[in-house]
Amino acid sequence: MKKILTSILSLGLACSAALAADAPVNALKVTDSLDGITADSALWSKAKFSEVTLYPQTALKMNDKKANDMNAADKAKKAEVAALYDGKNIALMVKWADGTKNIQGSYSSDTYSDGFAVQFAGTTKKAEPLPYIGMGSEGRPVIVHLQKATASVYEPNGNKDVETQVNRNQTNLFGQELKDYDAKVASLAKTDYERVFTAQGFRSLTEIKDGSAKSSASMTYGTNGWSGTLSRPLNDDYIKSNGTVPVAIAVWDGSKNGRDGLKNLSSWVAVNLEGMKPDAKRLGEITEVSKGDAAKGKEALATNGCNGCHQITAEDPASVMAPSLKNVGGYSTVAYLRESILKPSAVVVPGYNRNAHSNTPWYTIEKGKRISAMTDYSFLDKKTVEDIVAYLKTLKAEVE
Amino acid sequence: MSKRQLAMVMDLNKCIGCQTCTVACKTQWTNRNGREYMYWNNVETYPGTGYPKNWMELGGGFDAAGDLQPGVIPNLEADYGVPWDYNYESLMGGASFRPNVEPTWGPNWDEDQGAGAFPQDNYFFYLPRICNHCTNPGCLSACPRDAIFKREEDGVVLVDLDRCQGYRYCIAGCPYKKIYFNPKISKSEKCILCFPRIEQGLPPACAQQCVGRIRFVGFLDDEDSQVYKLVHKYKVALGLRSDYGTQPNVYYIPPTESPAKFDAEGKIIEGSTRLPIEELEKLFGPAVHDSIATLKAEMKKRKETGVSELLDLLIAYQHSDMFRLDNNYYQQVAKENKRNPLAPVDTRYVAGKFTKAGGHI
Repeated sequence: MKKILTSILSLGLACSAALAADAPVNALKVTDSLDGITADSALWSKAKFSEVTLYPQTALKMNDKKANDMNAADKAKKAEVAALYDGKNIALMVKWADGTKNIQGSYSSDTYSDGFAVQFAGTTKKAEPLPYIGMGSEGRPVIVHLQKATASVYEPNGNKDVETQVNRNQTNLFGQELKDYDAKVASLAKTDYERVFTAQGFRSLTEIKDGSAKSSASMTYGTNGWSGTLSRPLNDDYIKSNGTVPVAIAVWDGSKNGRDGLKNLSSWVAVNLEGMKPDAKRLGEITEVSKGDAAKGKEALATNGCNGCHQITAEDPASVMAPSLKNVGGYSTVAYLRESILKPSAVVVPGYNRNAHSNTPWYTIEKGKRISAMTDYSFLDKKTVEDIVAYLKTLKAEVE
Repeated sequence: MSKRQLAMVMDLNKCIGCQTCTVACKTQWTNRNGREYMYWNNVETYPGTGYPKNWMELGGGFDAAGDLQPGVIPNLEADYGVPWDYNYESLMGGASFRPNVEPTWGPNWDEDQGAGAFPQDNYFFYLPRICNHCTNPGCLSACPRDAIFKREEDGVVLVDLDRCQGYRYCIAGCPYKKIYFNPKISKSEKCILCFPRIEQGLPPACAQQCVGRIRFVGFLDDEDSQVYKLVHKYKVALGLRSDYGTQPNVYYIPPTESPAKFDAEGKIIEGSTRLPIEELEKLFGPAVHDSIATLKAEMKKRKETGVSELLDLLIAYQHSDMFRLDNNYYQQVAKENKRNPLAPVDTRYVAGKFTKAGGHI
């Protein structure tokens, strides 16, 4: 009897573990400065790595035929995440498996780089729920730190270096002078493809180029995988941190033409700063487990005709009218799912350009605000909503 | 849709495939900085593989329901061709003349091949292509960064290089494959319709340099413009592959006349034409029949009466008669927006939309 009970208990635990968010990452307090920390730093030896699951982004399907075919059967990935903080900066290390090291070709039109990004929730005037996982949402900005493994990039730097923008064959230089010219051009290249962006929803991602967002990221390829590190201030113009820092991780696989939305991403993950009081509200929002009945939720989803616009599982036909829900349970918090049912216009995933599917406008713009075409389901009773949320939390790809 | 729309009309009856336009464009814009392989303007032989290779089969554009179609991003080496150069300097040291890369493919690889059997029924014509500055651009619709925009002032489609992140969905989305990836700066680039020239009242380099005088440039809403007359008044200029649904703004006068075929003895088959009308229908749609009928009727009228506004237009006695640009218009736009009249009228490169401090270095 005891044995049966244990197995029932462990079964129950396994079920709730499957529905639960990734456990919080504990950031170890260090005294050394974290400025410019890389994966080689000895400081990481003390840090504890936690597992974070990264799900394929499937809310939107992009229009690259070849890449879509390559990524059609994508599964979720596990990443190992550790964090450190020194009182001023926070540093994160992400380790993920990737069998091939891909660097975008310097003279190629269809090769792509491996890369990773860490997203932080931006500060808002008043307390708001966490921004939408995919690039934030209107009024709820996110800050995204991106590191790609690229060769040299000669991005226009705004310095009007026009004299170096001439093909070497068309200069009137020879011998040593031509060599000097080549060296000057080479010196203008950026070899570290590190970017900081701010966004309030898909398509609004804008690079911060005014120096107001400091960061230092690096990527190191080891045996069968990458280690990426990032350090940034705990507080700046964009984020204000307390004991709990919500972050989200994304990784790109260049061998599968990964870039932009063709990525694997986590849900919001809580990073608790050791020795500081965790932010109970944020922590609760990130780690909340739905108490609803998933089986009943599945029925409710059918009764309410959700599949009229949403693709629910991989077996359902794809739809351009609404985001696909097939991995929504992987990268969404319970709070976000609940909010989307009750207040569909609170966060409208702007998605691709509406012009791409002009006959299926899933939102309209009224007085500058996006109004979702989705029915407001606030008439549903509380239990049904919880059941639906519980079911949506089960929608996610298996881990590879 | 923009307030006004610039358009170009190319008279395919007059194109001799000399590539002067290609060179004019290349030396002006694409001979440097990672654009070496790009031809914002190219002239391909039709029928043929085109540039990039088999571009008509690479997807993009819209279906009848208005949904953007998935597309394929061409490979630089296999589909565009890596530009090669020769070892001129080593020749002095006795080396043999060699290209620096093994040429495997390039634009015009199949120049003048065409279709059919020589001499019985072989045929081809030249098809010059630039960005169509579409009213409903596939590239713009595909961009997940809102980095591509259509200028209100004149409908020119441009890439905001500050927003572009090099995802390349635009290339998949453009059915004409007239937007390219610049690997050196990791961003997409395309024909800009020489907007810095246009704003100063000068035609685009390709049109200015065209020795065959095939290119007319003007505003489609300007009833005195050559493009208005050819597109709307006489309806002889037609969009290329308008079945892609992007509403292109480069129009073509279809090849009107083609020689008769020969029989096995080398005698002319009376009443035959080498150029199959089906091919023209594929490129320019069913309206090609009316266009050719109008052109033939006007030619006849000109022969009989000596008068035809349409033929006078197409002959283009004066080079300057081919363009109706409006420097004053742009000056006015600059004035209204309190901008430097010599600077490009678009300010979209200046500030990042969501950067808090608002600055952009």
